[in-house]
Amino acid sequence: MEFLKSLSNNYYYLVAIILFVIGMHTMLTHANLIKKVIAMNIMDASVFLLFVAVGYVRGGAAPVIEASANRVYVNPLPGALMLTGIVVGISVTAYALSLVTKIFRYYGTVDADEIVEIRSQEQ
Amino acid sequence: MMVEHFPVLIIVLPLAGAFLMPLLARRQVKLCWPALLLILVLVLGMAVTLLWRLDSSGPYFYHLGGWPPPWGIELQVDFLRVYLLLVVLGLGLWIAVYAWRDLEHELKPELIGWYCALYALLIGSMAGIALTNDLFNLFVFMEICAIASCAVITIKETRECLEAGFKYLILSAMGTGCYLLAVALIYMVTGHLNFALVREALPEAAALYPNNVLAAAALIIVAFAVKAALFPLHVWLPDAHAAAPSPSSAVLSGVVIKIYAFALLILFYRVLPGSLLSAVPLNEVILWLSVLGIVFGSIFAMVQEDLKKMLAYSSIAQIGYVFLGIGLANRTALVGALYHLLNHGIMKALLFMAAGNIIHAAGLRRIKSLSGIGPKMPLTMLPFAVAGASMIGIPGTGGLIGKWFLALGALETGRLLIVIIIIAGSLLNAIYYLPIIINAYLNPLSEGVSFKPVPRLMTASLLAGAAAVIFFGVFSKPVVLLLERAVTGFF
Amino acid sequence: MEETAALAVPIFAFLFPILMSPVIMAAGRRSAQLRNALALATTAAVFLAVVSLYPIMMRGEIIQFTLFEILPQLEISIRVDLLSFSLAALASFVWLLCTIYSIDYMAREHAGSRYYPVLIFTLGSCQGIFMAGDFFTLFIFFELMSLIAYILVIHEETPQALKAGYKYLIMTIIGGLALFFGIIITFELAGTVSLAAGPLVRETSLLAFLAFISFLIGFGMKAGIFPLHVWLPDAHPVAPSPASALLSGIMLKTGAYGLLRMIFHVFTIDVIRAGGWDKVMGVIAVITILLGSAVALTQDDIKRRLAYSSIGQMGYILLGMSVLNEKALIGDVFHIFSHAFMKSALFLAAGAIIWKTGKRLVSEMAGIGREMPFTVGCFSVAALAMIGVPPLNGFLSKWTLGLGALESGQPFYVFVLLVSSLLNALYYLPIIVPAFFGGLEHEHGSGFNIREATPRMVAPIVILALSTLLFGLLPTNIPFDLAQLTATFLLRGGP
Repeated sequence: MEFLKSLSNNYYYLVAIILFVIGMHTMLTHANLIKKVIAMNIMDASVFLLFVAVGYVRGGAAPVIEASANRVYVNPLPGALMLTGIVVGISVTAYALSLVTKIFRYYGTVDADEIVEIRSQEQ
Repeated sequence: MMVEHFPVLIIVLPLAGAFLMPLLARRQVKLCWPALLLILVLVLGMAVTLLWRLDSSGPYFYHLGGWPPPWGIELQVDFLRVYLLLVVLGLGLWIAVYAWRDLEHELKPELIGWYCALYALLIGSMAGIALTNDLFNLFVFMEICAIASCAVITIKETRECLEAGFKYLILSAMGTGCYLLAVALIYMVTGHLNFALVREALPEAAALYPNNVLAAAALIIVAFAVKAALFPLHVWLPDAHAAAPSPSSAVLSGVVIKIYAFALLILFYRVLPGSLLSAVPLNEVILWLSVLGIVFGSIFAMVQEDLKKMLAYSSIAQIGYVFLGIGLANRTALVGALYHLLNHGIMKALLFMAAGNIIHAAGLRRIKSLSGIGPKMPLTMLPFAVAGASMIGIPGTGGLIGKWFLALGALETGRLLIVIIIIAGSLLNAIYYLPIIINAYLNPLSEGVSFKPVPRLMTASLLAGAAAVIFFGVFSKPVVLLLERAVTGFF
Repeated sequence: MEETAALAVPIFAFLFPILMSPVIMAAGRRSAQLRNALALATTAAVFLAVVSLYPIMMRGEIIQFTLFEILPQLEISIRVDLLSFSLAALASFVWLLCTIYSIDYMAREHAGSRYYPVLIFTLGSCQGIFMAGDFFTLFIFFELMSLIAYILVIHEETPQALKAGYKYLIMTIIGGLALFFGIIITFELAGTVSLAAGPLVRETSLLAFLAFISFLIGFGMKAGIFPLHVWLPDAHPVAPSPASALLSGIMLKTGAYGLLRMIFHVFTIDVIRAGGWDKVMGVIAVITILLGSAVALTQDDIKRRLAYSSIGQMGYILLGMSVLNEKALIGDVFHIFSHAFMKSALFLAAGAIIWKTGKRLVSEMAGIGREMPFTVGCFSVAALAMIGVPPLNGFLSKWTLGLGALESGQPFYVFVLLVSSLLNALYYLPIIVPAFFGGLEHEHGSGFNIREATPRMVAPIVILALSTLLFGLLPTNIPFDLAQLTATFLLRGGP
């Protein structure tokens, strides 16, 4: 019971971990190169979610400081960091996709298993 | 004073150079390499100045944009960081000199400018990893480094390169993903990203949320083990390093994997609290993985038929020695690991360059086909032999010194088995390096092999490398003294 | 003045040959004669330089100084004491003779421009071993010499030589790594590996025992003791004969030298005895002696027979080390001298026979003594010395060794020496006797039909054979005196 309670309080944890594992698993085991790239994004996104969730303060306002009001603000740092993270993620995705298209031009497929088959046939 | 800003300039100058390089390439392709070399010489000069300054006025922190932590990003300048910086920049410059002539033949002319840009990006990001004192900043530099290193592999756009590059990219994305998750976990419990502040806050946080910190530590091991190709997460390395153009292989095997080992070292002993490691001896994990790496890397190397693949597997074994020093958690061993880091950088880059020379001159890649080329390419095979000897740890070469300290450190902690592994590893190295050298000198040349002349600059850089291997084997004292100062803060 | 000379000589002795070897290589491109002359001049200069230390050594002084530090507490240093001097002088003397011999012998062989620089380089590194002031320097030169000697082993480049060479190389590297292990343990235990620091390890422990075993493997590999001898019978015979003479006559002794240094500078006799390690050496020595001599019997190739005989003889030296009293040590050091003279003479003589007639097999050598009386005569003298016939030097060294064994109450060792002498007789006499008296039914009848090798080849053989005779006979016997002095010097506690 205690466990479930703490779980429900920290559900974002759970979601992030589940997404992370899904991403990692697909990335390592799936033969389709495009799906690998998508999985990579899922994995990144899970961490971004976790980060942003960590920075969120319940009931906090957007971190625009008004001199008069004495309010609770959301931690702005994770948001800022994750913007950077997203940019990095996008560039890696773009690069990975460009590689996939080049590989597709050579083999006519984006399936890693088929590529291995084609290569073994050539030898 | 300008010297104040050297730490950031060392990072920014190559990065800025990387962005300007394509523009320069559009106007004057011929100027690209000189420009790259100029940048590298400049930053190397700055790094030397930093070392000189360190010696007189001690370590200091540099606040990016004048913002102090916890808000701003901090760069740290101490002996360890500057040592790494010197290794990265020195080796980077040396390999760039070689690459200048080699890539003229290996790449299409219109790609030269892009290669220079990528190379500068790679060096800049590694300098960033060496200097940064901030968890998230480290992540950013790691990603830059990952993209740049993939790009220098895939730039040839052959099928092997593309596949190897993609494999590397995916696994390295997995590594950085793990690292970022670890950063999130640490940030959650401490609220800091700065190394020093995290270290202060972690013991308390670890007491409250032990699982978080433990998971973070485990993720960090996985992340950097992938990045630095620690056994059994090395699967991407042989393809990637073997398929890449030779200068890329040299810089990847010689420098890039080391920088991640170094980052792991910093995170493990400068960020994670000592109490955590004494409770859960994670360094033992690193230790035994590195032992497996030393043994299996060499065994895999023995059965390879492709020269560059063999060299790549040998890197897996050699990075094991660096991790061994980290895992032993002992200052003497750490000196050995850091010395080996420099030395293996030189040797492995040298070997890949020699392989590049052979491929350039005769188009030979298979180990068996190298018979008899020694007398034909004396200035290539002699450095190859010197580097091979250093791999084995023949006295008078740098390889011995690193192993000496590693073994001494292992003895200090009373681990005889590790000493025996280190020695057995040397023997395994001998078993696959010696036949190549013997075969090259004493067996007859296979028929139908013709030799193109190799540009002088390439041969000259090989000879310089061989001289460095011997220099660091004989006059090792200054470096060792520097390293002993560098590791004083550890353990 | 003498001070600086004393410092300069050891450096000269090892550095000069190493520096000369590229010069000789360059000279070889221009003319073979210039190359040979330079090689000869270098060895002669080294010999003279080493001998010039004689008065200083006789005063019992020790030259010890540091060149530079390679690592903190780990330095390249020089030390010349009586033991170093004896072996350095011996080495340079035999080297000089072998170089003279090489000039004609190698004229027929290929790649002389590779042979001479390597020969001279090994001389330099060998001098370096003997004059090393600490174990690390010793290790460096030891590896240098072993690796360079590989080129001598594979000189003929036949598949057989390459195979033997590879075995040699791998064994050398194993030996080197064992040595590394031993040195690093010693360093860990003592904080230094300098020879000047006195006994480094003063009590037995697991680590100390491991260090002992590692040293035994490392140096024993080179000395060819059982069971690490497997490379030796392959590697020594395939090398050109002058190189075989040096490999067997001198380079094996670097292993013995290292073992002596280990016993007296890393440990002490007391530690060795306390750990019972002398028994280990004794057992290995007995096996080595009997095995080497017995297998030599079965060999038909003359150089292989000599190589196995070397293994047996190195067993004597190890035996002396396990007995470890004054007599045994005198015998030990003197046997290093004797064996160097005998075995070099034998190899050079065998080389001359092969060079002149192309016969390698003992069974083909009947009657050869009537063709090459000087060469085979010298061979016979050296072989008789091997057997231990008085008054040759082999007898003197065995006699002293035997006395030492008896003194320490181990008559079994004397028995082993006797058995081995018998075996020696069994495999040397069948070479000598038919060489002079056999083959009568063949073409030339019983008369002499002299077809000697060139004087430059015969002269070194004669000198070496005379040495075996003189140094067993003379009343003022310089090697024996040196051996005595060295033994007392070592027993007094070395430094």
